Amino acid sequence: MTATLGRFLILASVLVSTTGAMISFAAGRKHAPEGVRWAQRFAYAFAALMILATLTMEYALLTHDFSVSYVAHVGSRSVPTWVTIVSLWSSLEGSILFWGAVLGIYIAAATYLNRDQHAEYMPYAIGTWLACGAFFSFLLSGPANPFLTVPAAADGPGPNPLLQNHYLMVIHPPFLYLGYVGMTIPFGYACAALLRGRLGLSFLKPMRASLMVPWIFLTCAIMLGGWWAYEVLGWGGYWAWDPVENASLLPWLTATAALHSAIVMERRGVLKGWTVTLIQASFLLTILGTFMTRSGVFNSVHSFTQSAIGPTILAFLAAVLIFSIALLATRIDTLEAEGRIDSAASKEGAFLFNNLIFVLLTFTVLIGTVFPLVVEAVKGKQMSVGRPYFDAMVVPAGTALLFLLGIGPALPWGRSSRQQILKALLPPIATGGVLIALGAAFGIRNGWTLATMFVGGYAAHVTLAQMWQPLVQRLRRGDSFGNALVNGQLRRGRRRFGSYIVHSGAVIVLIAIAVSSTQRTQHEVKLTKGQATTIGAYTLTFTGTEVRQEPNREATIANFNVAKNGTPVTTLAPRMNQYPQMREPIGTPAVYSTLKGDLYLSIMNLEGDTAGVLVLWMPMVGWIWFAVILMGIGGLVALIPSRAVIAVEAKDSVAAAAPALS
Amino acid sequence: MNRIVLISGIVIFAALVGVLFLNLGHDPSAIDSPLVGKPAPSFALKAVGTGETIDVARLRGKPAIINFWATWCGPCYLEHPVLVQNARVLGNQVQFVGVVFNDTEQKIQAFLADRGSAYPTLLDESGKTAIAYGVGGVPETFFLDRNGKIVAKYTGPMSTEDIQKNLAKAMK
Repeated sequence: MTATLGRFLILASVLVSTTGAMISFAAGRKHAPEGVRWAQRFAYAFAALMILATLTMEYALLTHDFSVSYVAHVGSRSVPTWVTIVSLWSSLEGSILFWGAVLGIYIAAATYLNRDQHAEYMPYAIGTWLACGAFFSFLLSGPANPFLTVPAAADGPGPNPLLQNHYLMVIHPPFLYLGYVGMTIPFGYACAALLRGRLGLSFLKPMRASLMVPWIFLTCAIMLGGWWAYEVLGWGGYWAWDPVENASLLPWLTATAALHSAIVMERRGVLKGWTVTLIQASFLLTILGTFMTRSGVFNSVHSFTQSAIGPTILAFLAAVLIFSIALLATRIDTLEAEGRIDSAASKEGAFLFNNLIFVLLTFTVLIGTVFPLVVEAVKGKQMSVGRPYFDAMVVPAGTALLFLLGIGPALPWGRSSRQQILKALLPPIATGGVLIALGAAFGIRNGWTLATMFVGGYAAHVTLAQMWQPLVQRLRRGDSFGNALVNGQLRRGRRRFGSYIVHSGAVIVLIAIAVSSTQRTQHEVKLTKGQATTIGAYTLTFTGTEVRQEPNREATIANFNVAKNGTPVTTLAPRMNQYPQMREPIGTPAVYSTLKGDLYLSIMNLEGDTAGVLVLWMPMVGWIWFAVILMGIGGLVALIPSRAVIAVEAKDSVAAAAPALS
Repeated sequence: MNRIVLISGIVIFAALVGVLFLNLGHDPSAIDSPLVGKPAPSFALKAVGTGETIDVARLRGKPAIINFWATWCGPCYLEHPVLVQNARVLGNQVQFVGVVFNDTEQKIQAFLADRGSAYPTLLDESGKTAIAYGVGGVPETFFLDRNGKIVAKYTGPMSTEDIQKNLAKAMK
């Protein structure tokens, strides 16, 4: 019964999305207002059907209806209710269904927010979204159907134990989907601009906002994935250049580039075609990422097992690629530039370099990820591209980006005199020097890390100066502090304020990555009950093991007392969780986080009263998680515009563009 | 028409989609084994239940499938019904053999009683056979041609398609 209802909802959504897409495109071509309204109705209907189908699946999961194929595959009576709820995205078919629901929500929200605006673009945008929706509902109706009827069993195996093992694995996938799926919205806008053959300044706002939302989710998702790997996998790292990690990084790189080029476009009226290309690339890379995680072609700890939908997703990727290339090749010249870039030593010049580096990084990571497949296809040999390649390519590029993050905001727009430029660029050098000295005092000797400290200090100086500039200006004019804070930072220029919050987060992340990856110390040691090992100022004493029965697993826990310079500070309890359906136990390390760094303890093996453990000191790791959250918050601040700001910005941009046009 | 966009677009498209397409059928868990192309390492193991000793020579004459598994292995539970079903269908043309290591006869018997069996299951008590075959994790499956030469190795639980694809090599 539930399975039949689910299948019906999916089939209805196939019908609604394909019909809706056709009506929308037709309405766009004929400029028919009635057609636009119908396009909107179809968009809402698609969203409703997808959400209902997902709720139907949740109902089947919660009622343990094992006659539904997906429930038979991942359901179990013995797991806690929260595990049952999140089982929705624990395996392939359910995750595609969840994807469809998220897509539906995005489409409905974007349609609703622009219901009375941008009528010339919206039908094309809705058409593009619904066409993507049609593909995913088609996947759900056939190749990845979660609602097949199967002979009902009494109980099921339960979802992948990794999902049950840590709460981060519960929140990481939704964030990732919100990031991935959200890229469909700016893609729709970009296609609409190309199909319409025009990209006005007013349409840039929804486009940029729609890019910012998935960017925030993707930023957090990448961090959560790294954090999960760090907290669960037990090898003491957070990033391994695994194909699936790269898959989430690739669209992030192009989306970040697009967010920056959109600013140049807004200020200078240039880079329209380029921005649109970056947005399309971001969407294509999310589809590539989907293919990488679901086709079974790549070997990764994060990917789903081999499935039959690989060819279908590849066909979709190819179709979208052909569509995008054809659209760009035929229409990109219609998005004519309204201004030009005068000088390399200007803000827009820095933006260009920023875009260049981001695109370079994208290709570097893409080639490193796909190269093993090239070798396999050509030579039939297996190989993998490892850390050395990525580190050698990405570390210099990352340092250069951090440097630009300092220089770009400091430089003025347009052409300026040598004195102006020097006055802007020289003072932050002092702060860079201070950070080098600080790093050296903490014992950092690695050249790249010290270089990162310098450019990081430089960038931090510029970022903070720019961030609080409105406040400072108002204080100089004699405003009270409260007024200056509210008017200068919060009420007006919120977007600017938000961007610099993102920048300060990025500075901290890059420094923390450099420090934590080069300054870590580690050793492996075998301890019997009562023995101790030291790392830095910490002494860890092994006090024995205990076995604990939990509803869905059996945990073997090793207990340690931790003392710093002889004073007890905490206890650590790394554990091995044994799930009934897994052969190997899943180790869960224990981490003691401080401002300076993390004490990381992971069990290698346990035999009676002897424990083999990996002991790690990772400086500044906690800063990464905190700073990425800061980046997300900055994105949110930038996202909430007020009406006053829009008016001021519009005036600003006219004023800024004026000299270039003359 | 912007030629630069078109040409660079087509180049990227052809390269990326081409590489992905060529790799579609390929399975990253199918690890190359130095044993492929060589005669199957010899063994003589006792079958669970009957106690009969079966050696490698007994497998010659028709293509054979040696499946390494264990009752403590989760994916083996998934694979078992697939193997049993295929063995029932192909029983006359192909010799199926299961080799269990790091396990007890009692547990294996309970497993087979519960989930059915259609071919001999051998107990590798010392684990020496698994070592000789370079088994890194279970399930792992070796495909032998009628002369006892290893023609393919598969890591992880197999589907019927995986069995057929690898058997085709053994049938040649």
